[in-house]
Amino acid sequence: MEDIQSYIESGILELYVMGDLSPEEKLKVEQMAVQHPEIRTEIASIESGLEHYASAYAVSPSANLRERVLNQLEKSETVTNLNTTTVTSINSAKSNTFYKYAFAASVALLLLSTIALFVLYTRLQESNQQLAILETNNQQFSNRVNFMIDQLDQTQQTLNILRSPEVKLIKLAGTKQAPQASMMVAFNPVKEEVMIDMSAMKMPENDTTHQYQLWAMVDGKPVDLGVFDMKTDDSGMKKMKTVTNAQAFAVTLEPRGGSVNPTMDQMMVIGSI
Amino acid sequence: MQASTLHQLNKKKITLSETELIHALRQKDKIGAEALYDMYSSSLYGVIYRIVQHEEIAEDLLQETFVKIWNSFHSFDSAKGRLFTWMVNLARNLSIDKIRSKDFRNNSKNQDIENTVNFIDEQKSTAINPDILGVKDLVDKLKPDQKSILDLVYFRGFTHVEAAEELGIPLGTVKTRLRMAIITLRKFFN
Repeated sequence: MEDIQSYIESGILELYVMGDLSPEEKLKVEQMAVQHPEIRTEIASIESGLEHYASAYAVSPSANLRERVLNQLEKSETVTNLNTTTVTSINSAKSNTFYKYAFAASVALLLLSTIALFVLYTRLQESNQQLAILETNNQQFSNRVNFMIDQLDQTQQTLNILRSPEVKLIKLAGTKQAPQASMMVAFNPVKEEVMIDMSAMKMPENDTTHQYQLWAMVDGKPVDLGVFDMKTDDSGMKKMKTVTNAQAFAVTLEPRGGSVNPTMDQMMVIGSI
Repeated sequence: MQASTLHQLNKKKITLSETELIHALRQKDKIGAEALYDMYSSSLYGVIYRIVQHEEIAEDLLQETFVKIWNSFHSFDSAKGRLFTWMVNLARNLSIDKIRSKDFRNNSKNQDIENTVNFIDEQKSTAINPDILGVKDLVDKLKPDQKSILDLVYFRGFTHVEAAEELGIPLGTVKTRLRMAIITLRKFFN
């Protein structure tokens, strides 16, 4: 009993009533109150004293506040009800329709995308085809241009050679072996250049085991000036070996690679300066 | 619910016994809300007003207090104490939170703390509950040091530790003075 009395007199119960204790202290006071009726009585007495003290200083709030507060309480009650029931159903209904719309929108979008993709794919293929055609055309064109540049080049070369005052043009005429044959030799004694005009050449085509060989007659002796083939698609000037002082040119048909001495009975054309 | 019929006939304030009121509040009965307001608004408002010293803020806080009482009534345990004790502590906590909040401190143009009680007594003297007589007598009965500590803790939201620091007295003295003050109140009102 002594303990209880000093517990009461410590002032902890006053703090308890005024809400000035930690949760642990509060719990302890409540446990004590359950065990000891005199503590319960003391607490009730303190509460009563403070309640009276508060009433002594009571102040009436403005008259319209009553309505405001009561409305607020009513509202907060309906809000609580809404929270538990209606709101959830509204939410689920809302989300259901939302998903429906979302699904429909997705399907529509997918369909549109597929169509657009198909159209784009077709157009891409068309474009690719056109591009291939254009590329082929371009290739053909540039081939043609290259060919023409080549030809122009050769023609220019030929022209340059023919125009040069130093150059002598010798026409070789066909012998008995090839009466129809003829060819032109351009000879520049200053530069010691010998060229044959492939485009103006009229010779029977040689087979694969034989080649034509050009000879220069220098002081009555034949000098080898190199071999060549007769091909119809050849054009331009072909440069042969050099020679300084030639009086005549002749061509014989020799085994492929040429011979050291000309096979005289196989002479095809001959012409002197 | 005799009181309610009485209320509707006379537009008089509703008064229920504490047991009846607790029952009505548990049922969320409209009568419970009205009785709650009629029985306690003045006492709670007096405490709140004393703490925040601003009419508009005090009325907002009173409303907030009633909403909290109403919505969290399930947490009130009548075995642990009186209804008013529970309610006044809710009101005090809300008010103290308010005066300690930034926006309140920024906006406050409050009086000097020392003048608080007199100021309120002068301003609101007409509104002081006429049913309770002898506030002056009561104030006379309380010794000044008892009154100051009681008002500091009860009306200004100081913890007893803070009060001890504020007044520069030991914790034990704070507790004893508080106890003596409340014993004076008990004697006075019985």
